Amino acid sequence: MIDNSEGYGRMRTLQCVVLLIFAMIVGRLIYLQLIDEHYKTLAKTNALRSVVQYPSRGEVYDRNGEYLVQSRVCYDLMVVYREIDKQGFDTTRLCAITGVTKSRLKRELTNARMRPRAPRLVASYISTEDKLRLDECSFPGFYTVYRTMREYPRKIGGNLLGYVGEVNADMLKRYPDYRAGDYVGMSGVERSYESLLKGVKGVKIQEIDTHGAIKGAYMEGRFDSLPESGRYLKTTIDARLQLLGEELMRGKIGAAVAIEPSTGEILMMVSSPSYDPDELLGRNRGNHYMELLRNRRNPLFNRAVKAKYPPGSTFKVVQGLIGLQEGVLRPSDIHPCNMGYHVGRHKMACHAHASPLDLRYAVSTSCNAYFCYVFRDILDNKKYDSVKEGFDVWRDYVESFGFGRKLGSDFLDEGSGYVPTSEFYDRRYRGAWNSVTVLSLSIGQGELGCTPLQLANLACILANRGYYYIPHIVKEIEGRDSIDRRFYERHYTKVDPKHFEPIVEGMWRGVHVDGTSRRARLEGWNVCGKTGTAQNPHGRDHSTFMSFAPKDNPKIAISVYVENGGFGATIALPIASLLEEYYLTDTIRRPEMVDWVKNMNIYYPNK
Amino acid sequence: MSRHNSIFEGVDFGTVLLYVLIVLAGWLSITSASFDEDTADIFSFSHFYMKQFVWIGMAWVTALVVLLLDERFYHMFAYPAYIGGILLLVAALLFGREVNGAKAWFEFGSFRVQPVEFAKIATALALARVMSTYSFSINRPGNLVKVAMVICIPLGIIVLQNDTGSGIVLCSFLFVLYREGLNKWLCIPVLLIAALFIISFLLSPMTLLLISIVVCTLSEAMMNGEWKSRIIYLASLALSSILLCIVVNFVSPGAMSLYHSLLTVTLLSLVVVVIYAFRSTLNNIFIILGLFIGTMVFLPTTDYIFNSILKPHQQNRILSFLGIINDPLGTDYNVNQSKIAIGSGGWLGKGFLQGTQIKYGFVPERHTDFIFCTPCEEWGFVGAMVVLSLLCMLILRLMRMGERQEEPFGRIYCYCVAAILLFHVLVNVGMTIGLMPVMGIPLPFMSYGGSSLIAFTILLFIAIRLDASTRQFSLNRI
Repeated sequence: MIDNSEGYGRMRTLQCVVLLIFAMIVGRLIYLQLIDEHYKTLAKTNALRSVVQYPSRGEVYDRNGEYLVQSRVCYDLMVVYREIDKQGFDTTRLCAITGVTKSRLKRELTNARMRPRAPRLVASYISTEDKLRLDECSFPGFYTVYRTMREYPRKIGGNLLGYVGEVNADMLKRYPDYRAGDYVGMSGVERSYESLLKGVKGVKIQEIDTHGAIKGAYMEGRFDSLPESGRYLKTTIDARLQLLGEELMRGKIGAAVAIEPSTGEILMMVSSPSYDPDELLGRNRGNHYMELLRNRRNPLFNRAVKAKYPPGSTFKVVQGLIGLQEGVLRPSDIHPCNMGYHVGRHKMACHAHASPLDLRYAVSTSCNAYFCYVFRDILDNKKYDSVKEGFDVWRDYVESFGFGRKLGSDFLDEGSGYVPTSEFYDRRYRGAWNSVTVLSLSIGQGELGCTPLQLANLACILANRGYYYIPHIVKEIEGRDSIDRRFYERHYTKVDPKHFEPIVEGMWRGVHVDGTSRRARLEGWNVCGKTGTAQNPHGRDHSTFMSFAPKDNPKIAISVYVENGGFGATIALPIASLLEEYYLTDTIRRPEMVDWVKNMNIYYPNK
Repeated sequence: MSRHNSIFEGVDFGTVLLYVLIVLAGWLSITSASFDEDTADIFSFSHFYMKQFVWIGMAWVTALVVLLLDERFYHMFAYPAYIGGILLLVAALLFGREVNGAKAWFEFGSFRVQPVEFAKIATALALARVMSTYSFSINRPGNLVKVAMVICIPLGIIVLQNDTGSGIVLCSFLFVLYREGLNKWLCIPVLLIAALFIISFLLSPMTLLLISIVVCTLSEAMMNGEWKSRIIYLASLALSSILLCIVVNFVSPGAMSLYHSLLTVTLLSLVVVVIYAFRSTLNNIFIILGLFIGTMVFLPTTDYIFNSILKPHQQNRILSFLGIINDPLGTDYNVNQSKIAIGSGGWLGKGFLQGTQIKYGFVPERHTDFIFCTPCEEWGFVGAMVVLSLLCMLILRLMRMGERQEEPFGRIYCYCVAAILLFHVLVNVGMTIGLMPVMGIPLPFMSYGGSSLIAFTILLFIAIRLDASTRQFSLNRI
């Protein structure tokens, strides 16, 4: 306890503290309210308008430094309802300059009236010339904001580059950093690299007088900030190859993907049908978008990374590799083929070729029967207790080749394809199944689904003899030393690299000696390829071709998939071969083949 | 017997009048801040001022209930209330709703309650109970630890809730501790270290170390009245650290900076200080030592605490207050707008419902945290003076009420209430006029919000109730 006199003294001190604190507040108030006139003048002109300074979005180049996406200046017309001249203004003139219809202007003004002090967007994509004319006329309450829009000088790569649109309500909820009216990448590269491309918004706070004229920067611009432009991206795309690819694929549904095997860089990625990216820009964007959405061929669907196609015979190489690794197959093993593979009531038909045959010839001539033997040997291996266990082992191998899962590329909407599991068959056949039941998997049919990107990646694995880099689309980012680390790692499959040689040999023979891919031969280059013809219940067979060249130190790996294109050699092969020729030699010596491919329009009855 | 008399017997009507006036001033301000001339139905309960009207009615009913209860009840239930308050805080931390980044709210329909408002009352009661124990002396280290625990447990939970602003309010109990005889040479280093924490980004570690050594040593010298030896201690610290620095740098150049050598020498000297303290039986050296070591641990981790405990918006507020960053549309802008609103009021203001800055929405949170702008703009300097003097009179009156209590329990509780109110006024008003960083704590009795108004009413009326019984007693005795 403290005695009373000390307590009294302390109370006095504390009273002084309280009074001091209040005196401090009063002193500050005297200064603010009575002495400093600054705040009064500020309050009079305190119609402040914060004008967002939009950054220009980062530009996108191809691997040779050519523009794929450019930014072009345009303006947004804004209105602050309270600042509009009360006597009315020349609406006809405003409409004439900006190209806004009168009814739309009226609607926007009615909306703007709800929140009279908030700036509201009236029209976007106003060109620089129109903006200057608008400035001359000076409509109180209306002002323009600098924006940039996208421009595609080469008009290629619609699905690949993606498009930019205004941020929607759902995104606003999920990403609080965005404000209504911001542009955001909706798909493709624009979406994957949104955070780098978008830049940083700035703000300019202006003082406005009662006539809506800008009087100057608030507090000498002390609170202003400058926008920061988005980073530019250098993609791995070769614009000229991409252009040729899109031309060749026109009129067909499908996809083509080319990758540089030594780096995993995507050289070309065509999803057909494509669209002109310029259409998804500007004022008519909404209409064009709806048109594309209604199109039954679904041009907005990026088939190259999302579609699930049966790989067909291209999958046989995977089968062979697994057989070699599992020890159930040696390159010299010989199996008969009597126009197909017969077991009990089952028959897997094959085309006419010499029989019996070894692994190399089976790859080059794409023998169905041979790989039925291989597949059954893998599943029925005595090492494993049951066919189920054998199947699980087989599936593990397949997955190590990048099938049935996302590869982890920089496409956010990448599909995973589909490789069935033993549980799937247990459910479907109530546990009663064996290697014959699932025999169609041996030739890449049945429940298998692969994306064209996965197939191109398979070509890379073969080109590299056993490993791949995750396919990616960006080569350089402004201001960064490197791209994401995962793109520098080698991913090995579960098959030992030493087993690849006989398969690659078979693919080489398929082109150069006696196989199904002879039309893919290029003078002076060792091309390896594998055709695929995937049966499909809805119509003609799908045509697919997977290839890489040259055989040693490959520079390009490619996969082409054409829906209902017939035999692999019919249409997918010439497309792939022409693209290889163009990439490797920079010229095309088979113009008649180009014309033939371009003129070939496949008829899709339902689309 | 006095029990049978009216419950108003002995109630200090001056205080009640002050309370009513402040609440009415608050209601008028909320009305101007939220009045919308375009609305047809001005009595609709969708308006803040009509809702607040209902809250004021409920607060007065609560006040009556508080007055009805026996004063011994508050003494008896101090600890249970404290435990209940802590449980509520923990419950809010675990199951509460997050508002503005602070997980400190319970929600019942559209009605939200912040348990921290009630935890303040409970802590004040518990503190009063602890400190009014027989033979309690604040300057005994054991008792001091008890008191520190009573304050720090809820404080810790509130900080965990990310509601640092409300948590700091509990620090205002230092005010009470001082009144109850805490050595002033202990208060000064505590205040100083709190200040250091805020400005530690601006100072180098060397400066911080020097300031804390000098301040701690000098306050200890003031406490024990031993000047000569402490000066010698400081001098020898300085000399030996400089010597150490020179010697080490002579042996291997660049191995040790002056800062490191000072740190080494200081840490070594602590051993000597501890031995000295034991032998001279000067217990309060240990308190200062604890404070010093706490500071040493605390200050280097300031950056860490700043980055991990404070939310980005809180960091920005402190940084913008210190002038380190300029946030164009964030806090700085808000404070600027609030300053413009206040500054434009002038002598007499613009008149009721005429404030342009507030009405046109330039001032953010104008009916809650920035409510003080409204009287300043509409009633000018004169209006601001009226509101401030009402608040100041209430606080001073509470202190006087405390002084006339016969039981330490009542006195300490009254001081607690005064301290809480003072802190709220200082921080809230200080923030609107740019004297304090922006912390989201309300202006007592004036800011819009039912739970805060009711909690402050309970807080105040318990003090009035305790005081009333003292006066009843003395009146009856005469």
